[in-house]
Amino acid sequence: MHRNILTLVILGSLIVAAALLAQFMGIRLYERIATTMFVSMILVLGLQVFMGNSGILSFAHIGFMGVGAYASAVLSIPERMKGMALPDLYPILVDVQLSPYVTILIGGLVAALVAAALSYPLMRLSDAAAVITSFALLVVLHTILTHWSAVTNGPRTLFGLPKATSLWLACGLALAALVGAMAFKESRVGRLLRASRDDEVAAAAIGVDIVKLRWLGFILAALFAGIGGALWGHFVTSFSPRAFYLKETFLILSMLVIGGANTVTGAVIGTLIVTFVYEALRSVEASINEAGIVSQQVIGLTEIVLALAMIAVLALRPGGLFPVREIGTLLTLKRKTGRKSP
Amino acid sequence: MMLDDAQNRAPLVMNAGSVEFSGLKALDSVSLRLEPGEILGLIGPNGSGKTTTINAITGQVPLAGGDVRIGERVISGMSPRKIALMGVARSFQIVRLFNNMTTLENVETAALARGDSRRIAREKAQALLSEFSLEGHADDLCGTLSYGDKRRVEIARALAAEPSFLFLDEPAAGMNVAETDALLEILRALPGDRGLGLLIIDHDMSLIMRLCDRLQVISSGRTIAEGSAEDVRSNQDVIEAYLGTGADD
Repeated sequence: MHRNILTLVILGSLIVAAALLAQFMGIRLYERIATTMFVSMILVLGLQVFMGNSGILSFAHIGFMGVGAYASAVLSIPERMKGMALPDLYPILVDVQLSPYVTILIGGLVAALVAAALSYPLMRLSDAAAVITSFALLVVLHTILTHWSAVTNGPRTLFGLPKATSLWLACGLALAALVGAMAFKESRVGRLLRASRDDEVAAAAIGVDIVKLRWLGFILAALFAGIGGALWGHFVTSFSPRAFYLKETFLILSMLVIGGANTVTGAVIGTLIVTFVYEALRSVEASINEAGIVSQQVIGLTEIVLALAMIAVLALRPGGLFPVREIGTLLTLKRKTGRKSP
Repeated sequence: MMLDDAQNRAPLVMNAGSVEFSGLKALDSVSLRLEPGEILGLIGPNGSGKTTTINAITGQVPLAGGDVRIGERVISGMSPRKIALMGVARSFQIVRLFNNMTTLENVETAALARGDSRRIAREKAQALLSEFSLEGHADDLCGTLSYGDKRRVEIARALAAEPSFLFLDEPAAGMNVAETDALLEILRALPGDRGLGLLIIDHDMSLIMRLCDRLQVISSGRTIAEGSAEDVRSNQDVIEAYLGTGADD
């Protein structure tokens, strides 16, 4: 058990160090980048909870981020703003104005409830069928967010969310997500789910209820995604359904895949690395364009490099940077652990 | 672990079990009885239906006819998961381990799946690892183990569930003579120590003959002989099934 504590201490320190660094640099942009990174980290850790333990790729995750963000928005936008922001809102919800600190949690719970209601039959599927249906679920959630004008203002931007998310709130919730993901992985449910990930037939043959455990993992992942989405909503204070679709899905997925989906360490390190590379490339891109080195505008550099990085990782190290073992375990094992199972 | 209630002393019986794969009879009315505390060897030529018999009993393939019972309780038709929780454990012809977990975790998981507490599961797993001389590999990922070790981990994992009936599909495949002999000693003690009924498939006839109380021979999906090693060895049908008849050559 001490290995897991060591892992938590190392990863937790990295998270706090990133927050301190962002704060003491004294540049507002860095604080913004770090806050967004912590939101991403919560989402990546949530995706790790389901994907890492069940071994099933889920595209639906960001849809639940959207559910959380909109749920929190509807419950927290001030009454006087609602007339403008959500003109068609159901009367019963117009008077509701809760503290965003409460609605962020409610956003997570709503996302978890939606996931619980929708996902059970999907958990019977494996491999390609599971991936495709999760993608379909993302499309369905996106379509609902885009067209349920009464609570989402349709495809238009929803504004008026009270600003509540600070660097340290995001940092604190990222730490909580870290502990939550690790606790789930080491729990009975997490262990049995990982058994089914490694071998479904053998897991069933020792009595593992695979469908139910996947479902529990999926619900917990949606809780993380909903909280992450709500947290982000109260940071940017205005957004449209487009924010919760393919671009975000691939960013979060690339963070997890590059870091290593099977480990919590991979989720955290992947988020840190991808954020750093992404922001560095963006500033390079901006300076190239400013200096006018190239005759045309350079666009899409970040996406291309990120895609190439993902291909490189998948080709050279298919399990990601941390494919099997957590950092605390790697450090405590006496002999060299270069050997990795495929 | 001695089992004491009546249900757990009941035999596992397959009555005229048949299995079809797209119209082809892989198993044709095979009856089989496994008593707690005995070792039954299931032998036969390649493709005769041995593994299919295990798959049918443990629920991996559905029965087209007949049924499987433990005592009065019909278990055929249940999911593999439910059958496992009824006290039926197995190993696989091609080893199926949780390769991204350590040896200790693999064994522990089977105890956790049946509802043991974390502490008890850990204790059981550690005891089983030393019983199978695997302590040195406790922290190794199962994917990195040697073939013989993997086979032993799989058996240890099956035992962690404290089954009433254990089905081993070629447990000695890929083991050298020393490993096979060590395995034989462990397997021989299982029914007595744990009160379980053990069914073994293996091509290693010397292992089977030394280990089993009783043999059942199947060929082309039918039982062709049953009895002691001596009975089976001298049975004309068995000789023909293994060696073919002179006329066919």
